[in-house]
Amino acid sequence: MIIHDVPCPFCGCLCDDVSLVVEKNRIVGVENCCAIGNAKFLSKTRLKHPIIRRDGGWVEVSYEEAIDETAKILAESIRPLLYGWSGTYGEAQVVGVHLAEELGALIDSTTSVCHNPSILAIQEVGHPGTTLGQVKNRADLVIYWGCNPIEAHPRHLSRYTTYADGYFFENTVSDRKVVVVDIRRSEAAKIADEFIQVTPGGDYHVLSALRAMVRGRGDVVPGSVAGVKKEQLERLVALCMEAKYIGVFFGLGVSMTRGKYKNVRNAIELVSEISRKTKCTISAMRGHYNVYGFNEVLTWMAGYPFAVDFSRGIAFYNPGETTVIDLLERKEPDASLIIASDPGAHFPYSCNEHIASIPSIQIDPCVNATTALCRVQIPVAITGIEVAGTAYRMDGVPIRMKKVLETEYPTDQEILERIYAKVRELNGNG
Amino acid sequence: MTFILTTGRTVAQGSFIEHKISKGYQRATSLLFIHPMDLFCLGIESGDRVRVTGDAGEIVVTTEASEDVPEKTVFMALGPYANAITGGYTHSTGMPDYKEIPVSIEPTDDPVISVWDIMEKAGGVRYDHT
Ligand code: SF4
Repeated sequence: MIIHDVPCPFCGCLCDDVSLVVEKNRIVGVENCCAIGNAKFLSKTRLKHPIIRRDGGWVEVSYEEAIDETAKILAESIRPLLYGWSGTYGEAQVVGVHLAEELGALIDSTTSVCHNPSILAIQEVGHPGTTLGQVKNRADLVIYWGCNPIEAHPRHLSRYTTYADGYFFENTVSDRKVVVVDIRRSEAAKIADEFIQVTPGGDYHVLSALRAMVRGRGDVVPGSVAGVKKEQLERLVALCMEAKYIGVFFGLGVSMTRGKYKNVRNAIELVSEISRKTKCTISAMRGHYNVYGFNEVLTWMAGYPFAVDFSRGIAFYNPGETTVIDLLERKEPDASLIIASDPGAHFPYSCNEHIASIPSIQIDPCVNATTALCRVQIPVAITGIEVAGTAYRMDGVPIRMKKVLETEYPTDQEILERIYAKVRELNGNG
Repeated sequence: MTFILTTGRTVAQGSFIEHKISKGYQRATSLLFIHPMDLFCLGIESGDRVRVTGDAGEIVVTTEASEDVPEKTVFMALGPYANAITGGYTHSTGMPDYKEIPVSIEPTDDPVISVWDIMEKAGGVRYDHT
């Protein structure tokens, strides 16, 4: 059986045109997908039972026991941390926010270590954003800044930019120019019409120089800025002024380096500046397929997109204080629930040391680096393959994930609802 | 010798995302891309191992010559190896310095440890399953 138009549950592109060949409740073929998505659809190894750490080793336990243990740990904790959320669907995230409120917990998502600075910048100066469809059909100039879509979002170029057919173009590939700005000659840089190589940490300078030039004050710009020759910057400004529609995409090369959200703010302000003369939009290259979704869900429910602290009985948000890394560095949490993410692989070492030193629970279909740091792991159905639900693409467009295989594994939503009910019971609210 | 370490995604790192305990993931995230001139200055060849040390820690990884990185800048895929030298300080923004880490690099014969080893050093307990 071939199932068409399946969204890929991997990266923020959320490509919804994948075809799967399914035989005897197994995926045996994948079409239209990139190598990373393929690997996810065809992956077979996963955790088969809930596990709990006892006497220095691991033992298999029932779902009931694992859920009871989880609820007990969370209910007894004074400063619980609920972290992850980007690899699960909106309906499960909703339960997570309710659980956080019940526990008076700190709830944060992988946004915190990814596009958190982009959101801070957007909160300061707004977001001249767009949908990917607009870029695909209209952009005659695409700028990738501090990101490497060929490796991180492999189909971004073929679905939405460089190699995608645009409605308003005769010949999209020749009519569309691509500029890449990066500190190294990445795979994306190799296919660019213009590659601008910045010295590490130099983005803010280059963005400021470009803003001056677009304003007609190129005279204040020195001959070279952060390793980039002034002539090349002039060429880029000329390209922008000739273009009818510019789509700027930026990645963690802008948001994680020196200056953090101030870099992104500068980039947004450059885009606003260019928009006085022609049309220009800017979008973040979001990583997980539903990292955007959690920002939506938490904003609807608590008023803020990430790093919400319920310990005061109200939603409190102060990035730099209520963000997961700062919390762990201060060794505040005395228990953590980690879902749909892998801090073991992605957090600084000292943060992982703290996760390992407190009772931590992981909800995830697979054994990963975080497994070792936890006391309990509960395996679940895989969103987008075994359970349907809502996810938000990197441009904020919601897409319905499909269920293509039957499974006996419980869903994230179901597990969270059971933990929530148990915690309420233990809290005397049941 | 001192360098700037930067990290990012690679297809290899991404495709092993559900197999983080595998040798493939270990290899994909413990490769250090370094300019051939820098290898020459260190007196080693591509494929030799180095110890990378930053303020927050140190880790042994395997070098891979690449002219795509500028001299004095080295690149690794994001993952537990790069994070072993990433500090948790965020300048009050919530975001650690994942991209611009000053490190010193020296040749070594020590082995590249496994992901489980790193997690156990941090206080975890491996779960061996098949
Ligand atoms: S680009 Fe992203 S969403 Fe699209 S197929 Fe590849 S991994 Fe999946």
